[in-house]
Amino acid sequence: MPKRGFLGRSSPILIGVLLVILVLFLVSLLSGALGSSLFGDLGLPSWLSVPQPHPELPAGVVFHLLGFPITNSIIAAWLSIIVLVGVSYAVTRRLKLIPTRVQSMLESALGWLLNFCQDVAGKENGRRFFPVVATIFLFVITNAWLSLIPGFGSILITNAEGEVVELFRGANTDINLPLALALISFIFVEYWGIKSVGLFRYLRKFINTGRFFGAIGQIFRGKVKAGLVGLSNGVIDIFVGALEALSELVRIVSFTFRLFGNMTGGEILLLMMLFLVPFILAIPFYGLELLIGFVQALIFAGLTLVFATIAVAPHTVEAA
Amino acid sequence: MEAETIKLLAAGLAMGLGAIGPGIGIGILGLGAMNALGRNPEARGPIMTNMILAIAFAEAIAIYALVVAVVLIFVA
Repeated sequence: MPKRGFLGRSSPILIGVLLVILVLFLVSLLSGALGSSLFGDLGLPSWLSVPQPHPELPAGVVFHLLGFPITNSIIAAWLSIIVLVGVSYAVTRRLKLIPTRVQSMLESALGWLLNFCQDVAGKENGRRFFPVVATIFLFVITNAWLSLIPGFGSILITNAEGEVVELFRGANTDINLPLALALISFIFVEYWGIKSVGLFRYLRKFINTGRFFGAIGQIFRGKVKAGLVGLSNGVIDIFVGALEALSELVRIVSFTFRLFGNMTGGEILLLMMLFLVPFILAIPFYGLELLIGFVQALIFAGLTLVFATIAVAPHTVEAA
Repeated sequence: MEAETIKLLAAGLAMGLGAIGPGIGIGILGLGAMNALGRNPEARGPIMTNMILAIAFAEAIAIYALVVAVVLIFVA
C-alpha cells in the first residue's frame, strides 16, 4: 500500500511527475527562441525547434465554390455549426423525463442562459430575446473554444494556387464573422424596438424635431421670448437625436472590433508564447484564452440584450 | 530613420500608450465593485455581473489600440 502522500498519491509518483515537468521545462527553455538567444546554438534535433510564426490577418483561401473564395475560417465556422447542430440533434432524439448526464448538462446550460436573459430584460422580454441572444452566445463560444483544440490549426492543405494553407482557422479571427454578427445584432435590436414601440415613435427618438417646430410656431404667434428659448432647446434636441443615431451605428463597429481584437490578439499571443518557450509557457495563456473566449461570448450576447432592453423600453413622457 | 523602424516604434507606442487609460479605468471599476461588495455582500450577483459588463467596455478601448498595433506590424 503506497504511503498517503500529496493529493492522495504516493510520494514516489509525485516525485516522478515533478521530474517529468522539470525535464519538459528545461527542454522547452533550451529549444525555444529564448533559449537559443541565451545559450547559443546547442545542436538540438530539428524537430524540437519551432519556426518563427507568421500570423497573417486575411484568412487563406482553401478552394473556390461558385466563384466565391472559401477561406479556412469559413470552414471552421461550418465545423462549429456541425458540432452545435449535431450535439443538439443527438441529445433531443431520446428526451427523458429524468435526464441522462449529457441531457442535464445541456439543459443546465440553456437554463442558465434563459435566467441571464430574464435577469437583464424582465420575464417576457427575456423570453422573447432568448433565441437570438443564446444563438449568438453559443456560436461565438463554440468558435472560440474549437480553435483551442490542439492540432486545430496544424492540418495543412495545398490549395489550387499551390500554396500551403491551414485547413481550419479560428472563425472569430476573420473580421467578416464578427462584422456579420454585429450586423445581425443591430438589425434585431432595431426590429424589436420598432415592433414594440411603433415605427414613428421609435424614429422620433432620433429625429427629435418636435420642440424646434413648436418653437417656430410660438414665435409666429407672438410669444417671442418663450419661442426663442424653445428654439434653442429644439436645436439641442435635434443634435442629441443625431448623436443617438450615430452611436447606434458606431455600436456595430465597436462590437466587431471588440470580438475580432480579442480573438486575434489571443491567437497571436499563443503563437508567440509557443515560439519563445515551446511547451511550458503556453499553459497559463491557454487558460487565459479559454476564459477570454467565454467572457467575449457573454459580452457580445449580453450587450445585445442590454441594447434591446433599452430599445423596447416605453418612451418616457417628456416635460412639456 | 527608415520606414521599417518607424513602423515598429509606432506599433509599440500605440499599444503602450493605448493601454494606460483602460488599465486605470478597470482599476477604478474594481475599486467601485469592491466598495459596493463590502457594504452589501448579499448583492454579489448583480454587482459582479455589472462589473464584468463595464470591464468589457473599458477593455474594448485597449483592444482597439491592439488592433492598430497589429495592423501596423503585419499589414502596413
